[in-house]
Order: sequence, then structure tokens, then C-alpha cells
Amino acid sequence: MTLELVDVQILAAALFCLGLYGVLARRSAVMILMSVELMLNAVNVNLVAFSAFRDISAVTGQVIVIFVITVAAAEVGLALAVIMRLFRARGSVNVDELDLMKG
Amino acid sequence: MGIEEAWLIPTYGFIAFGVLAVFGRYLPVPGKYLSVGAIVLAFVTFWPVLFDFVSRGVGEHHLARKWFTAGDVSVGSGMIVDPLTIVMLALVTFVAMLVQIYSLGYMKHENNGREQDDPNITWYFAAHSLFTAAMLTLVLADNMLVLYLAWELVGLCSYLLIGFWWQRQSAVNAAKKAFITTRVGDVGLLIGILVLASETGTFDITQTIAYVTGDDYNQGVVTFSAFMIFLGAMGKSAQFPLHVWLPDAMEGPSPVSALIHAATMVTAGVFLVARLLPVFEAAPSAQLTVAIVGLVTAIVGATLALVVTDLKRILAYSTMSHLGFMMLTLGAGGYMAAVFHLLMHGVSKAMLFLSAGSIMHVMHEETDINKMGGLRHRMPVTALAFTVGALALSGIPPLAGFWSKDEMLLAIKDGLNPVFLVLFLVAVVLSALYMARAIYLVFYGELKPENRGVQEAPGIMSLPLLVLAILSVFAGFIIFPLGGGYEGIGNFLFTAEHHAHDLTIEALWTIVSIVLAVGGMALGIWLFKSQRASVDALRARFAPLHRLLINRYYMDALYQWIVDNVVLAAGRLVAFFDRRFVNDGGVNGVGYATVEAGKRLRVHVTGLFADYGIAMTGGVSLIVLYLWWRSS
Repeated sequence: MTLELVDVQILAAALFCLGLYGVLARRSAVMILMSVELMLNAVNVNLVAFSAFRDISAVTGQVIVIFVITVAAAEVGLALAVIMRLFRARGSVNVDELDLMKG
Repeated sequence: MGIEEAWLIPTYGFIAFGVLAVFGRYLPVPGKYLSVGAIVLAFVTFWPVLFDFVSRGVGEHHLARKWFTAGDVSVGSGMIVDPLTIVMLALVTFVAMLVQIYSLGYMKHENNGREQDDPNITWYFAAHSLFTAAMLTLVLADNMLVLYLAWELVGLCSYLLIGFWWQRQSAVNAAKKAFITTRVGDVGLLIGILVLASETGTFDITQTIAYVTGDDYNQGVVTFSAFMIFLGAMGKSAQFPLHVWLPDAMEGPSPVSALIHAATMVTAGVFLVARLLPVFEAAPSAQLTVAIVGLVTAIVGATLALVVTDLKRILAYSTMSHLGFMMLTLGAGGYMAAVFHLLMHGVSKAMLFLSAGSIMHVMHEETDINKMGGLRHRMPVTALAFTVGALALSGIPPLAGFWSKDEMLLAIKDGLNPVFLVLFLVAVVLSALYMARAIYLVFYGELKPENRGVQEAPGIMSLPLLVLAILSVFAGFIIFPLGGGYEGIGNFLFTAEHHAHDLTIEALWTIVSIVLAVGGMALGIWLFKSQRASVDALRARFAPLHRLLINRYYMDALYQWIVDNVVLAAGRLVAFFDRRFVNDGGVNGVGYATVEAGKRLRVHVTGLFADYGIAMTGGVSLIVLYLWWRSS
């Protein structure tokens, strides 16, 4: 049994849904951030898979993945800084308590 | 210099106004001299224009100039220089010049034993300059829009100057009354101009006159606009029933009254009707209305002048009465007679008002003629001037007013029903009568003890009086062919639409007019000199009539009633509508609706991160499902 494109896509979809669940269900901002990373990586898997299975000579997919990983790293740095400030300010990182935007 | 430069004549005044209004406080010399200089310059500039006009041949010179074009309508800013313009320029520049010189003396008030200029004197002269400049623009204008602009400027300046002593509530009220009353007429004038222009397709006066003197013109439209234009003239020229502002306008300084009554304001209405006389001749019903309104005004003014005791108001009602004569004459088609009387009346009335001003100046603003008397001993120059002016206006030969009154009489006799003539003669007698009363009560009789300290006014005020007095005596002679190609005013005023008019004297009517004027005068003197008791008896005998007159025919009461019960009621209705519907319903309603909608719509905004996430995920999923469904 060889690895087909669809198998990898199923894996990516599963990863994405896990991440989405985490984003929606978790209360801790740190956990939500990790879940977002999971979703990003699901996309990365997809990109690499398409690149590998369609035309191995074109490296577009891999290159974009590198970009995504870089941007994600920067984003994590920023997000963690925000979360830290949040914790300093409010003593908690529970997103359910952050309802300042309530109308 | 020639008639092309006639535009300079009003320009000086506008410049003087601009400089005085903006830099009045910072000028190295007192601003009043700038204003006087401007009007003297205008008067000087008038002469080359006159000579050039005569050398080119007396007639209508239309100096067209384009101002702007909007669609099919082209509006000019040119000038008409015709005999009417020339005589008006002469009158306005001359009278305004003398009045301004006189004002130099009049606008000084005694303060702690020293004579001082009025604190707002710069503004006074600035408004004076603008007033004169506006009037000069009005007489030069070759199209109705410029004329209307100048017309409104004249109204504005009269408001400013009547209310010059704004510290007095009565002056403020008088200024507002004058402005609002004339506005009623001005609205009519604007409508008339626009209707006429929409029919003829031009604002140009020459073309408009060509249109109405042509063969096919729209009778209905021309009649309607003639009525509307006359409404404007009624307001400005204080014709019954829009005359109520004129007596109250006496609240302004006396020189202003002289200017308003002789040169710049009330003559505008007569000038307008004279300028557009062909329009009225094309609409006989409108012309008849002009005559009727003029006659009623003449009688109403003359009767009111008989009973008021305020010297300036006597003169004001006299002006009203004489304006009525002019309108009546125009209604009879007596173009030349009306314009001639306009000039003669202007000269005499300016002098009368300046004389009244001198009296007020030295008697501490006293205007009640019952408190005067015998002033001829104390103020000989003023007495002489006033008497000459009053005799001239009453039509005593050979003074100025006699010739013009004679011409008017003939015009009315030829142009209208004999009823008009009879009533005109009645008004002439009344005119002599009230003038006799004024002269006698002010200058003759016993000098009151409290007036023993009265002194003649300073020379700068007496000089204009003397100049005008000489003119009042001799100005009437311009009706004669004086040689040098001048064939008398009747031929000078000849234009394409109005036939040349040689001096005509009909002995019978001249005698009638002299007898009536002298008789009225004599009756007046006799009544007030020796028969003081009989005046009181007359008053008691005709008590209801007297009451009617001292209440000014109840016209003011009527207008007050209309204002209280119609205008204010309508105002309250509108205010209620505004508060209830526009404000509560419209403005507040929108705000209230927005707040309520917000309250109902904000339920979904929970502020919870997960809710937004779910909504976003759900939305994206739905969009994807939709796209998938569509592509398959």
C-alpha cells in the first residue's frame, strides 16, 4: 500500500479540525495559540503534499511552507508578548473573561 | 473724459465706502473728509460727462458692456446715458454733496461745552457714500438686474442711516419698519423683473422698451409685470398704502432725511416708473393704477401734513404728497412734467430738511412746532431758506415749484379724467396750506421766552442752505429755452419714446394754479395768524376727521393688527409644525430610532472569543459549501 495524495490530505484535514476545535473550545489564550499553530501546520502539510505529488521538480509549495513557518514564528513571538501583557494587566489569560467588546 | 467715463461717478462713492468701512479708524485724516472728497469728485466728474453728452447730441446713448452670460441670458453691466440719467446724476451728486458738507457741521454735538464729532461719524459718512453711490448706479444702470442690485443697496443704506442713532429704540424700530415695508414692494419688483425678462428674454432696459413698444407683445404678461414693478416703486417712493415707513424715518439724522427725500431713496421709485414708462403705457390698467395710487397718496400725505406737529414729519408727509403728484403725472403720461417736478422738489425739499436740521441742531433736537415760533429773529438765514423752499413747493411764482406744478397740471388735464384734475387742485391747495402753517408756526409769531438763547447754526450748515435757496428760486427757469442750443427741459428730456415738448403755458390754467396756491397760502397764514381760535373751533367741529388724521388714517394700527393677528399667528403655526413634526418627528425621531435599533441589534455582540470563532467558522463553511454546490 502506497501513500496516496488523498491520505495526506485526510491527515491535513484532521490536523486542521483538531486545531479548529482547540481554538474554539479552549479557554486559555496559550492553548488557543498552539491550536492556531496546529492549523497552520495542517496547511503546510497540504502544501508540501501537493508539491510532492503533482510536480516534484517545482518547489513552489516547499518554498511557501518555509515562508509560512517563518511568519508563524514571528506571529508566535508577537502573540506570546500580547498574552504576557494581558496576564500582567488582568491576572488571567482566560479568553472568556475578555469581553470588553461586548455591545 | 466723456460719457464713457460716467461709471466713475458712482465708483468714487463705493471706493470711499470701502476705505472708510475697513480702514476708517486708521486713516491719517478724519474719514469724513474722504467721503466729502469723493462726492465732490463725483460732482466734478459729472460736468465733462454733461458737456460730452451735449456735444454728441442729446439723446439716448447706450454704452453696452457684457457682464456675464448664463445659458441664453446675457447680463450686461453697461450704462444708459440719456437725458433722464443726466438730470438725475445732476440732482443726486449736487444734493448729496451739499448734504455731506452740511453734515460736517450737523454731526457735531455739544459735549461739556465743546463741539465734538459724533462718535460714529466715520460710519455715518461711509454709509452716506454708499447710499449716494448706490443711487448713482441705479440711475446709470442699463439692465434690470444691476438696477435691482442698486435698488436693494439703496434700501440697505436707508436702513443703516435711519437707524444711525441705534442707541434709541425708536430709531431702531423706524429703521426696521422702513426696511421691511420697502421689502414688501421689492419682492414685487423682483417678480416683475423676472416675469418681464422671461417674456422678453433679456434684462436689458433698452431691449425691454423696444419689446413693449413693438407691435406684438404679450399684453397679460406686460400688465402683470407692470403692476409688480409698480409695487416696488410704491415701497421705495412711499406710495399709499406702503407709505407708513416714511414719517418714522425721521428718526434718522436730518441730513439723512434730506438725502432720502430729495435725492437718493424716494426718488428711486419715481425714477423707475419714469424709466420704464413705456412698459406702463403698454399696460393701460397699470398706468391708471399708478395715477390712482399717486392721487390717493397726494391727498393722504397732504391731509396728514396738516395735523402733525412734528416739523420733520410735516416735511415727510409733504414729500409723500409730492411723490404722489409725480406718480399721478406719470400715470397721466406726463413724463417730462414728472421728471421736472422731481428735480424741483428735490432741490426745495433738501433745503427744507436741512433747514429743519439747523433748527433741531440749535434747539437741542426739538421738533415740535408748537414749541417754536418767531425764530426768524434768531435764525434769519434758516428762516429765509425755509420760507423760500416752502413757497417754492407750494407753487408760488416764479419759484421752482410753480413751473413744475403748472406742467403737471397740464399733463393731468390732458391725460386723465377731470376728477383727477379737481382732486389734484385740492391737494395743491392743501399743500400751500400746510406749508403756510409750518412757516408761520415756526418762524413767525411770538418768540417764546425759552428760545431767546437760540443762535443761527454755523456757517458750514448755512452755506448749503443758501446755495439751495438760490437754486430754488431760479431752477425753475430751466423750463425756458435758455439759448446755446438749449430748448427748455421739455425738449431736453425728449427721447425716442417721448415726444419733444415745447414750453406750453395755458393762461387760464396758470391763473387757476396761481390763485389756488396763493389762496391756500393766504388762508393758512390768516388761519394761524389772527384766527388761532378758529383753528381750534375747526378742530372741534370736525373732531372725527381730526381724530382720523392724527391717527394717520389708522394705517399703522391696521398694519399692527395684521402683524399681530396674521403674521404672528402664521408664525406660531409654523413654529408648532417645526417643533412637533420637524424637530420631534424628524430630528429627534432619527436619533431615537437609531438608539432603539442598536439596543435590539446588539444582542449577538457577546464579546466572547469563541462565539466569534464559531460564527466565522460557520460562515466560511457555508461559503465553501455554497461554492462547492454551485460548481458541481
